[in-house]
Amino acid sequence: MQPGKKMKQAAWALGLGLALLAPATGQAMSAEDAPESVEIDTLAELYGPVSFDHAMHTDVAQCSDCHHHTTGTDPTDPPCVKCHYGREEGETVSCTDCHAAEPFIQENLKKLENPEIFHIDKPGLKGAYHINCLGCHQEVGGPTGCQDCHQMTEAGEKRFDTGKFAPAGYRPGAEQHEPEKKHE
Amino acid sequence: MKKFSANNPAIPIADHVKHDGSKWTIKEKLWLGLTPQEYKKQFFRNWVNWLMLCIFAVGIPIILQRYLFGLGAVTHASNDYPWGLFLGFGLFAMVPLSASGFLLGTTVEVFGRKDFIPIERLALLNGLLGYFFAVLYLEVDLGMPWRLPYPMFVSLGPAAVLFLVAWHVATYLSVQIAELVPAFGEWSGWLKGKRWIKSITLGLTIAGIILSTLHQGALGALFTYAPGKVHPLWFSAEFQWIHFFCSSIFAGLSMVIVSSALCKWTMKWRADDRFLGSVDNLTIGLGKGCSYAMITYLVIKIVAIAHDQEWAYLLTGWGQYYLLELGIGVVLPMFMFAVAVKNRWAGMVRLAALISVLGIIWNRLNTSMISFNWNLYPEIPHWKEVWITITIYALYFLTYRFILYRLPILYEWKGEK
Amino acid sequence: MTEQLSRRRFIKGGLAGTVAVSVLKDKETQAAHDFEGYPDAMGVVVDLTRCVGCRSCEAACNKEQGLPEPAEPFDDFSVFDYMFHGQKRRTDEAHYTVVNRYEVPQLDHPLFRKMQCNHCNEPACLTSCFVNAYTKTPQGAVIYNSKVCVGCRTCMIACPFYVPTFKYSSAFSPRIMKCIFCYDTRLKDGKPPACVEACPQEALTFGKRIDMLEVAHQRIRMEPGKYIDHVYGEHEAGGTSWMYISPVPFDEVGLDTSVTREPILNYVKGFLAIVPMVLTIWPALFAGFHLLATRKDRIKESQTDENQEG
Repeated sequence: MQPGKKMKQAAWALGLGLALLAPATGQAMSAEDAPESVEIDTLAELYGPVSFDHAMHTDVAQCSDCHHHTTGTDPTDPPCVKCHYGREEGETVSCTDCHAAEPFIQENLKKLENPEIFHIDKPGLKGAYHINCLGCHQEVGGPTGCQDCHQMTEAGEKRFDTGKFAPAGYRPGAEQHEPEKKHE
Repeated sequence: MKKFSANNPAIPIADHVKHDGSKWTIKEKLWLGLTPQEYKKQFFRNWVNWLMLCIFAVGIPIILQRYLFGLGAVTHASNDYPWGLFLGFGLFAMVPLSASGFLLGTTVEVFGRKDFIPIERLALLNGLLGYFFAVLYLEVDLGMPWRLPYPMFVSLGPAAVLFLVAWHVATYLSVQIAELVPAFGEWSGWLKGKRWIKSITLGLTIAGIILSTLHQGALGALFTYAPGKVHPLWFSAEFQWIHFFCSSIFAGLSMVIVSSALCKWTMKWRADDRFLGSVDNLTIGLGKGCSYAMITYLVIKIVAIAHDQEWAYLLTGWGQYYLLELGIGVVLPMFMFAVAVKNRWAGMVRLAALISVLGIIWNRLNTSMISFNWNLYPEIPHWKEVWITITIYALYFLTYRFILYRLPILYEWKGEK
Repeated sequence: MTEQLSRRRFIKGGLAGTVAVSVLKDKETQAAHDFEGYPDAMGVVVDLTRCVGCRSCEAACNKEQGLPEPAEPFDDFSVFDYMFHGQKRRTDEAHYTVVNRYEVPQLDHPLFRKMQCNHCNEPACLTSCFVNAYTKTPQGAVIYNSKVCVGCRTCMIACPFYVPTFKYSSAFSPRIMKCIFCYDTRLKDGKPPACVEACPQEALTFGKRIDMLEVAHQRIRMEPGKYIDHVYGEHEAGGTSWMYISPVPFDEVGLDTSVTREPILNYVKGFLAIVPMVLTIWPALFAGFHLLATRKDRIKESQTDENQEG
């Protein structure tokens, strides 16, 4: 990724972090403290940004479903309880603060060499978004198609040889499915 | 040819000088002492030549297609079956059938069985041409045929089995050329070369044994790279090389029997009394060797099944097919050889040899193509692949005959030698 | 009589040689150490519970490696229905990696599995190559040099995972086409391969192979019942850089569970060990046979010589 992009990401992370930090005073955050909606665009490249309706999601899910222990709710998973039980809410609750945008760069891989580290398998930012969002959507029947959440960009069409970059002479088959709907 | 030799007692050529005392030129020798018109006449009188022309008429354009548009143009371009008929038949079957050279070399030069001399050169020629055409098949199959010398001189991978095959086939090819220098020397009058080769014959022969043991074995060992792909019955990590080596013994001998029979029946004019008078006896002698090699082979085959605990496979469809191959390709000719040798029936030895030649081709195709990927789908070669294989074989046949017509293989040179 | 004698001797000699050879061979095989891979080799865990079959990895690979334009867009999922000779899609000269869909009875949804070169610790392709066209780099990639390849395709025979493919379509510059772990453009600079970077689900996790093994085992341990307790590639074919964890038995997602535990080379070592034996023993053996077989002739010769002298 280009350095300019990185800068932008960092600025975004900081901004989002600060925004979420500001109202954090109580034992546990309440949904009202959260923004109405979040524009998730740190990783936008092949797909455009996601307009995340945060308010709507607070109605259908617990804070901890996405924010784990950082919003002040005690974890229930036995391995998490060991360290995170009874802790106060985190200083930041933004995804980008814990989940690296580039999990596999040397700098991040080096961290795994620390024998003290427990979280050797923390997904990167993109993984975290998709595993969490898509995982839940599959369970509760939310939208699961790629373009249900984010529109493919021109760069994306080029990458996937689709849209205006579709192979010459290609005629789409009678049935064309988004991957997750395929089996339904 | 018979007609010509009846008219002209100097034909077939077996001497440097004509009856009138003048010398045959090389050109005249090449034309078999005939005028071009006569040569053409005898060529077109033979139906076999017409058959060859038909094969070439289709085959040569396809071969050109292969070199201009790639292997994908003439084969199914399978990534699951990287090796097809060019190697399955051309390399894996041609090489054992050409073991004759080292076998007869060993019999005559090492064991001192001078009685096999009348057939020795035929065996050497059969060996040389078989190897040469195996390399030719390889040149059709290799993706980059122009890089044939790479494993020797450019980039060496000495730990690979194929490296062994490449080096041994190449050196053995040279050994076989050297072993046939005497025949060429007599015919062309180049006697210096002949004498030198004569002095190192024993060394060449022993080199031939070593190289043959290793590369015949190595062709089998190539399949030990594919333990999950070749059906367990045709696969044996420990014994594969012995199977291939041991079967090459009767394969090579059988091929000489078949070849000598064809010479006896169709090339009487070219053979001399020494050959014609001894060929039946020698056939029986070779048949005896075949039956010994076959029983040894059969035992090792069974040992391999026992070693890998594969008895249960024999009850499956593959097992029955395996038993069919062994039954028809080995057990049947083995008994035929034994019975025929005991009763001194040369004709039956020849039939048994033909069966065993086909049996060995069957075995090599089974190992390299049919039982290969036994868990996947069967691959049926493209017709063009089949045709090219036949075309190269036709070329092999013509070259074989071309040399037999001329060099003192089936007859003794009467002139200075 | 002489004929029988010499033949019998021939066979006997052959057997004796074989026995000697096989005794020595075992020693050599035992002495040979197994190579367990470079300590800093990188690896990837493919988690089949995460893959959703979006084909992003295929698209990324295609662009990164400059492969030909595909026949259909990478967001066309009808390719999962494609069958050839009853087989699902496989790698070929235009695809270094492919994703296939597998319907499994235990789950209410299908599973998807990506295939590519597994980058064995002791690669069969490498050990079978007679021109040294393959290299296993310290970073774990199995790379290929098209400049020395002669196109014999033995590597394709040897690969237990059916990965290398041949550019059959080319007459003048054919070559082997296979995944190289993005070695040239990424891995050698410490970057993950393009497919890993493209995966939205992080179904592909990249890191040092030893760390990835730990990650794989941790995932299996942390969520009992979610995975089959086996990491495919930990030992398969002697261990591979790319490894799989799956919620269903591996053969149900098209992975060959009969693949050998040892490196393919171990099956070939037996033959390789006899080579020096034949090279050294045969000349002596057959020279001996020659002397024995021709003894009578020579005695006769010397007798006639003596007679002539006397």
